[in-house]
Amino acid sequence: MQPQFSKAEAANAPEGAIIHDDATAKWFLISSVAYFFIVGIIAVIIAAKFVWPDLMGTMSWLTYGRLRPLHVNGMLFGWLLAADMGLAYYVIPRLCGVKLWSEKLGLATAALWNVIILGAVVTLLAGLNQGWEYAELPWYLDILVVVAWIMFGINIFMTVANRKYQAMYVTIWYTMGCILWTAFVYLTGNFATLFATGTNQANLNWMYVHNAVGLIFTPIGLAIAYYFIPRASNTPLHSHKLSMVGFWSLAFVYVWTGAHHMLHGPISQWLQTIAIAFSLMLLIPVWAVVYNLFATMKGQWHQLRESVPLKFLMSGVVFYLLTCFQGPMHSLRTVNAIVSKTDWIPGHAHMAVLGCFSFFAIAGTYYAVPRIWNKALHSDSLANWSYWMLMIGGLGFFTTLWLGGFWQGWQWNNVSIPFIDTVIALKPIWIVRFVSGLMMFTGIVLFAYNILATALGNPEEAAV
Amino acid sequence: MFKKADNNALWAIGLSLVLFFIGGIITTVVPPLVDTSWSKPFENRDAAKGPTGKLVPLNDLQKKGRAIYVREGCWYCHTQQIRTLLADTKRYGWRGVDAPISTPDEFVYDDPHMFGTKRTGPDLARVGGKYDTQWHRTHFRNPRDLVKGSIMPAYPWIVANPEEFSAMVAYLQTLGRSKDWRPANDYEK
Repeated sequence: MQPQFSKAEAANAPEGAIIHDDATAKWFLISSVAYFFIVGIIAVIIAAKFVWPDLMGTMSWLTYGRLRPLHVNGMLFGWLLAADMGLAYYVIPRLCGVKLWSEKLGLATAALWNVIILGAVVTLLAGLNQGWEYAELPWYLDILVVVAWIMFGINIFMTVANRKYQAMYVTIWYTMGCILWTAFVYLTGNFATLFATGTNQANLNWMYVHNAVGLIFTPIGLAIAYYFIPRASNTPLHSHKLSMVGFWSLAFVYVWTGAHHMLHGPISQWLQTIAIAFSLMLLIPVWAVVYNLFATMKGQWHQLRESVPLKFLMSGVVFYLLTCFQGPMHSLRTVNAIVSKTDWIPGHAHMAVLGCFSFFAIAGTYYAVPRIWNKALHSDSLANWSYWMLMIGGLGFFTTLWLGGFWQGWQWNNVSIPFIDTVIALKPIWIVRFVSGLMMFTGIVLFAYNILATALGNPEEAAV
Repeated sequence: MFKKADNNALWAIGLSLVLFFIGGIITTVVPPLVDTSWSKPFENRDAAKGPTGKLVPLNDLQKKGRAIYVREGCWYCHTQQIRTLLADTKRYGWRGVDAPISTPDEFVYDDPHMFGTKRTGPDLARVGGKYDTQWHRTHFRNPRDLVKGSIMPAYPWIVANPEEFSAMVAYLQTLGRSKDWRPANDYEK
């Protein structure tokens, strides 16, 4: 493989090496890290509102109902998807052995993406909410999302089409899969729903909600993990064949499971049963991926002590395993009757989006940013602190919500307990969630500061 | 077949879309064609077949109230579905009468649907007629004045706006009323 360098390293590069511009990756990464921090503030506020419901409650645009969609959309699209896209702009040209097809198009995509996120902040705070989870943004912003996604897709696909190495590494498949599936999943959740009502619309909505995680964040998150785990540990991937099993079973299995969000609800029983069966089959792609990534690290675990990206990556893999064990289990009717609609669900969702996919994106950012700017990371010790704050805060958050959610579900199933008593009982759980949330937020601040200080600070010695 | 996708990008694209569309079509396009109750408004005149009643579309005032429900994000904390669980039919019943299970034909006019996914507060699928206007006025002004320990936000700006408040209450009183599930004069409007 030919040596590849970022533009910043060009001076030291041997002749014939590919010099990557990385301008698009830079803009995506910097803006996503900034949103991670800003939306983190919103996250802490809404966690506090569970404990102090009157907090900032005198203005309509600061109520829970307005801030929650901003938190969800801001984290999903402002931080996570943008960071994933930024990393794809960094990774794909390197795997293809060519430059990104068009940095100009990439920069335009980054600008458009920021317009969308800022538009989202204004419209959501104003209460312009379409009323569908994950698809709250008004239709004119949805159209901009589609345009930006097509621009992203063209750039990646043209880079792949021009690639120098014929064989495509698994990261390339996952990225291409993500781009294609997202296109259809997003159209279903944001446009097809416009032409349906009631149960039919809910079914389309949950197909989108479920696959936003399963066919958008999972493939691009795994693309990142598959690239950065071998890179950061300097170890070849354990098995190419196993990565194929994981990819193709994901492609087939995931899309069937949307109706498990409506188990026991007003939707056809046969559809619920299909969703349950396919939810159980999700164990196949998940365990294939997890085994492959663990086996890659065999004999290399000591590297975790020294490397912050590896710490985040491998913790992310563990959380992936746990989340995707919970998912199939609570789609079983008996378990679902207890945990559905309780606080268990945000515990589960945060482990997927924060514990797994955000950890992957954070690891990729920690790895890529010093190399793109050709500077040493601002502070290794701060990076370590950011890991432990996110890890301990995250664990506190997930475990208390699972326990609290289970407990809440049991109380609901005892109809002699008045509903309000089940609310009051959860107060200690929400206090722990708020404190863990503060720890996680501290981790986010340290991460964001470290990355921005690296990118914007004075150039020091070159990164190794 | 799968091996070929290793080196051939077009093949990989085609295959991943084909696999995706099998499940995609069977779970989104097919169900409403097979289950006609998804699009046929509820109507039952025969008491032997369960609760009688008829689903009617909302009037303008109720629609306005529903838009406020959507705008304020009430649906992030309140579901609107009585599931096929005793825990739901008993808990959300009223004065000893169990709430009937929600069926797709009761939601045919719902756009956007408000089924919800989280119950930070109680389910509202059958709340229509349970509380009167004065109760809602006090409750929206500050929920903790009526329900000690509640964590629902206060909505003084809705109460202060008579037009919005009456629309909101008008909408809430429709919830779950297409099925006539309670003794005739048990509604507290």
